[in-house]
Amino acid sequence: MRSIRETPDRTSPPRVVCAAVILALGPIGPVACGPRVAPPIAAEHGDDTPPRHGGTVRLAEIGDARNLDPAGPVDGVSLPPVHLMFAGLVDFDDHAAIAPDLAESWAVTEEGRAYRFVLKPGVSMHDGQELTAEDVKRSVERALHPSAPNPTASMFEGLVGFDAFVEDRADHIEGVEVEGRYVIGFRLKEPDAAFLPLLAMTTLRPVCRNGGWRYSDDWLPCGAGPFKLPPGGWQRGTSLHLVRHEAYFRPGLPYLDGVEWTFNMQALAQRFRFEAGDLDLVRSLSQADQRRFSADPRWSPYGGTDADTNVYGESMNTRTPPFDNIEIRRAVASAINREHYRLLKPAYLTVLTQLVPADIPGYDPSVRGQHYDYDAALEHMRKAGYPYDPRTGHGGWPHSIDYPLYDQGLLVFTAQLLQQDLAKIGLHIELRLVSWQAFLALQARPYGAPISQGSWDMDYPDPSSFFDPLFTTRAIDPEGGHNIAFYSNPHLDDVVAEARRESHEDRRRALYARAAAIVCDEAPWAFAYSHHWYRLRQPYVRGDTPHPIWHVDVTTTWLDRAGRSLEQVLGEGLRR
Amino acid sequence: MPTARRRRLIRNSSARSGALIVGGLLAFAILGPALSPHGPNDSDFVHGVSLDLSPIGPCALFPLGADRLYRDVLARLSSGARLSLLIASAATLLSAVIGTIIGILSGWFEGAPVRIPWLAIAGAGGALAALSLGRPLAACMALGSGCVVAIARRKGGPLVDIDGALMRLVDVLLAFPFLLLLMAIGAALEHTTVITLLFTLGATGWLGIARLLRARTMQLRSLEYVVASRALGQSTAGILLKHVLPNVVGPLIVAATFLIAQMIVADSILSYLGVGLSPPAATWGRMLLEGQDEYLTAPRLVIAPAAAILLAVWGFNLLGEGLRDALDPRDA
Repeated sequence: MRSIRETPDRTSPPRVVCAAVILALGPIGPVACGPRVAPPIAAEHGDDTPPRHGGTVRLAEIGDARNLDPAGPVDGVSLPPVHLMFAGLVDFDDHAAIAPDLAESWAVTEEGRAYRFVLKPGVSMHDGQELTAEDVKRSVERALHPSAPNPTASMFEGLVGFDAFVEDRADHIEGVEVEGRYVIGFRLKEPDAAFLPLLAMTTLRPVCRNGGWRYSDDWLPCGAGPFKLPPGGWQRGTSLHLVRHEAYFRPGLPYLDGVEWTFNMQALAQRFRFEAGDLDLVRSLSQADQRRFSADPRWSPYGGTDADTNVYGESMNTRTPPFDNIEIRRAVASAINREHYRLLKPAYLTVLTQLVPADIPGYDPSVRGQHYDYDAALEHMRKAGYPYDPRTGHGGWPHSIDYPLYDQGLLVFTAQLLQQDLAKIGLHIELRLVSWQAFLALQARPYGAPISQGSWDMDYPDPSSFFDPLFTTRAIDPEGGHNIAFYSNPHLDDVVAEARRESHEDRRRALYARAAAIVCDEAPWAFAYSHHWYRLRQPYVRGDTPHPIWHVDVTTTWLDRAGRSLEQVLGEGLRR
Repeated sequence: MPTARRRRLIRNSSARSGALIVGGLLAFAILGPALSPHGPNDSDFVHGVSLDLSPIGPCALFPLGADRLYRDVLARLSSGARLSLLIASAATLLSAVIGTIIGILSGWFEGAPVRIPWLAIAGAGGALAALSLGRPLAACMALGSGCVVAIARRKGGPLVDIDGALMRLVDVLLAFPFLLLLMAIGAALEHTTVITLLFTLGATGWLGIARLLRARTMQLRSLEYVVASRALGQSTAGILLKHVLPNVVGPLIVAATFLIAQMIVADSILSYLGVGLSPPAATWGRMLLEGQDEYLTAPRLVIAPAAAILLAVWGFNLLGEGLRDALDPRDA
């Protein structure tokens, strides 16, 4: 547009045709016909080599980290770095069981109403201060105070004094008590089977004293985890660089000097950079690349799939027309052909007809759930007062419905399938491309998005990790709660609360089965699929174990890669 | 068009090849739906799925195979041709209109500052502000009073160097990287539609045409018949419409033809970067984006839209070159 070419090209057309075709197809030809994937970069030593210190592991994400403060909204991208920066009283081990972290020991008394933790002495925070019980209390109150944009605060309302604290009637939470320099106690209103897993989440993890008693946007995140954030280490929207916390309380760990994330990197770019050795571990390969790497015997020992621990579905805003009509929501749940979703990534998607994914304890296969049934969907539309005749195309909801989406990953494809499925029952959705941040903001607003894709990964392996944040009334927060359907049902609230109080496993499961039946029937979400990630590492990345909760935990990871000479690095730079 | 020029155009191999490609593209855009039994946005989970559950390759029912959503690539390519040609042509038309007005005005008033009816302009500004506040009556009054006062004070208003002002505006806009500017506007729009897209492209693509026509107008301004018209008292508007405009149409057509090619590329880039039309619109750029992950297993998903963009751009460029050679007054 800038300039109009002035020099005529006198090349005769046939030659131009040939040249253009060769030029256009030239770069594709060798790629299509050449070797499928580059060979793995071998480790320098054998498998029996002891771990070595040093090096920086390089990772990439398709999305962007919005926040690194545990008291703020922690999403799938920011979860691994937040976990690496902040240690908790307890943590999840590699099998998602509760394990001690900052706490040396703990005791549960008063029939599950009181928890008493004894901290490890001499734990050094990133700022050099020693961690005490006072820091734990301050961090808990900082995270649960209404000034913090913490979407999970309501999950801790079982603490004695929580209500008075959030309503500003008390300066402190009565149920969080400092009982000694290294002893902290929690008192609950009633027993809560999920309290320890809740503590293992990142929300209440202790932060340095400079974090203060209240949340602040301009605070440099600082905790007691194995890695710390140096000044300037986080370039929002671009990258995050963490460095080793030299005084980490577990001797000898971590092995790495640092961890580096690059954000907003497309799957294709990740694949090329991984092959070139510029990324050490990837989790966002495309379906085609996943197939290619997993079929290659040179790579297969270094790849694997994670468990089904997440749920994806279409979240319908129950306060916004037409989804304030339960029959319309039921029609959507019946109109979605989930098998078509699965065809997008057959090896990595599992059809999901209920809220709890198959690999979570408490998953109940006897729950009938939501199923594709076109006739039933049309019947629900009729009951809703908007009958649709598929032969004539007449009827249905008379307005188009906005569906915000961001242009990454699978969503752009599932959205188009949803659009086709819903058009067949007379619901016309208009896809609206927005940025990732705008997408999250629209979802969080009470009247922001009538329908949008919802996704949730477990915080801890229990059905309450799904029901509580997604569908209970207390999880509704106009400032950014996780109940993006704004669904409220007192009966469900009661069932879920009773299940949390219940310690008998069979009775608990029966209660969650009842809860599952309610959400499947009232359909605030049309559940669609769960996705298991495929992770692939270079052979020189050692000690990397897929973590069921944090996904990427490099605390015990080490690198066994031969040092690259300056000539090699320069050569690679020139080749690129 | 004079016979000699028409003959030169027909004899010109670039023009012939370009016309052939562009004609073929137009035919493909128009007849595309007849070539495929599938709609461009309809998935076919019965015939579009191969045995290994991947999208089916080229076959009788899907001449170019199916894409990741099991839609007919040929039908989408044809739909993309319609969209691309529509957007590129309409945006070019808009650019041509803006560029012609600014170029001719700038060239004509070069070195000759004119008095502008600033009161009328101020009235129009006030009217716009009142309209935005929902006060149509106040808007009419502001506009009317501004115009009345301006007419009453005919000699009023400051002397303004129109050419200088317009060309500095062009310089400023040229200083912005074109694609960056397009992306910024695209990202700022809450919802991109065909209309917003073609307005975005059209409103940013006129700079080259304005500069070209300014230079041409400056040449024309000093020609004898134009000077004679002025001497005989013909109005400026009359001279511009009767003598200048017809003589800049040739370069304008050539520039616009090249511009269509650039608009096709710009539209494809915007779609590829995710700030173009929302899915499921079958733009060529989006087809490239959606097919790129499969570039090894199904390279046709990348080659098909890439070849379409290449052919379209190349065809319009060839046609533009042919037109330029045929309409070049130096060869007359």
